[in-house]
Amino acid sequence: MKILLLASLLVLGLAGCASQPETRSLSDRQNLKVDPEVVYTMAVTELFEERLAQPDGNSLLHVQFAVEARSDAELAWKVTWFDDSGMVVKSVGEGYRKATLLTGQVRYFSATAPHARVTSYQLHLREPK
Amino acid sequence: MLIRAIAISASLAVIAGCAAPTRYIDPAADDGPVAMTMDYRDFEKAASDAVEDMLASGAVNNPDGGRYIMVVSRITNDTMQRIDTDQLTKKIRVSLLQSGKVVTTTAVGLNGAEDEMTMKARELRDSAEFDQSGVQRKGTLQAPDLSLSGKILQRNHKVGKEQQVEYYIQLSLTDLASGLAVWEGETPIIKRGSDSSVSW
Repeated sequence: MKILLLASLLVLGLAGCASQPETRSLSDRQNLKVDPEVVYTMAVTELFEERLAQPDGNSLLHVQFAVEARSDAELAWKVTWFDDSGMVVKSVGEGYRKATLLTGQVRYFSATAPHARVTSYQLHLREPK
Repeated sequence: MLIRAIAISASLAVIAGCAAPTRYIDPAADDGPVAMTMDYRDFEKAASDAVEDMLASGAVNNPDGGRYIMVVSRITNDTMQRIDTDQLTKKIRVSLLQSGKVVTTTAVGLNGAEDEMTMKARELRDSAEFDQSGVQRKGTLQAPDLSLSGKILQRNHKVGKEQQVEYYIQLSLTDLASGLAVWEGETPIIKRGSDSSVSW
C-alpha cells in the first residue's frame, strides 16, 4: 500500500514538473503562398515585414506586399497570423480580401498583426471564383 | 380531375427538386455571389480595416502602459437598410479586446448602460438578504477614456444600364479627455450590379 502511495506521489510530482508541451510543425510553412492560377496574371514583386514598436515595450508585426498585374485580374488575399509556438492568432475577419488589378498596375497591400505575440505569418494569394 | 392533381403534384416535385438546397457557408472560404445590400463580408472588411489601422497608427496605445477603456457612442445608420450597427462595432470591440489594448465598458451608454446589471447589482448594497462582502463597493466602476462613434452612408447612382450603390463606413475614436478625434477611418464599399437589384 505504501509503495502504491509513493508511486502515485512520484507520478504526480513528475507530472507537475513537466514542461509545457511544445508544438511541432510537420512541414515548413512558407510566408508566401501563391496559387498557380494567380501566377499567370500577376507577380508578387515585394514582400516586407517590420515590427511596430509599442509604448509598453512590445511590438506588432506589420506586413506589406506589392503585386504587379500582367493583365486585368481579380485577386483574393489573406494573412494568417501565428505565435511563437506556431499556433494561429485570431484576427478580425476570416475571409479573403478582394482586389482588382488593371494591366500593368502595381498595387501595395498591408496588414497588421492583431496581437504583439504574433511572430510569423502566411500570406495566401488566390483567384476568387 | 385526377390527371390535374397528378400534373400539379409532378410540377411541385420538379420545382422542389430544382430548389437550391440549404447549406452552411464558411465565412473563411466564401466566394458566393455579392448582394447589393450590405452583407457580413462588408462589415468584416470595414472592421478589419478599422482595427488594423487603429493598431498600426498607435492611437490605442496607452502611454501609461495599461489598457484604454472605450465606450461605444452613436453609430448612425444613414442607409436605406435596417442595419444593426452592433454587427460592425462588436467585431471592432472583440478585436481590440483580443489585442490587449482596449477594453469596452458596458456600464455607460448614450441610451443607458448596455448591461444594466452593473447598476442593478449595486442596488443590493445594504440589503440584509445579501452577504455584503460580495456586493460591489462604491467607486469601483471605470470611466471611459475613448469613445467610438460613426456613420454608415449610402448613395445610389444609375450607371448606364446598371445601378451603383456606394456605402461609406465612417468611424471616429475620440479621446474623452480632450474631445479630439485621435483616430478616424473611412471604408468605402462600392457595388455595381443589375438595375433591378434592390439595395434596401
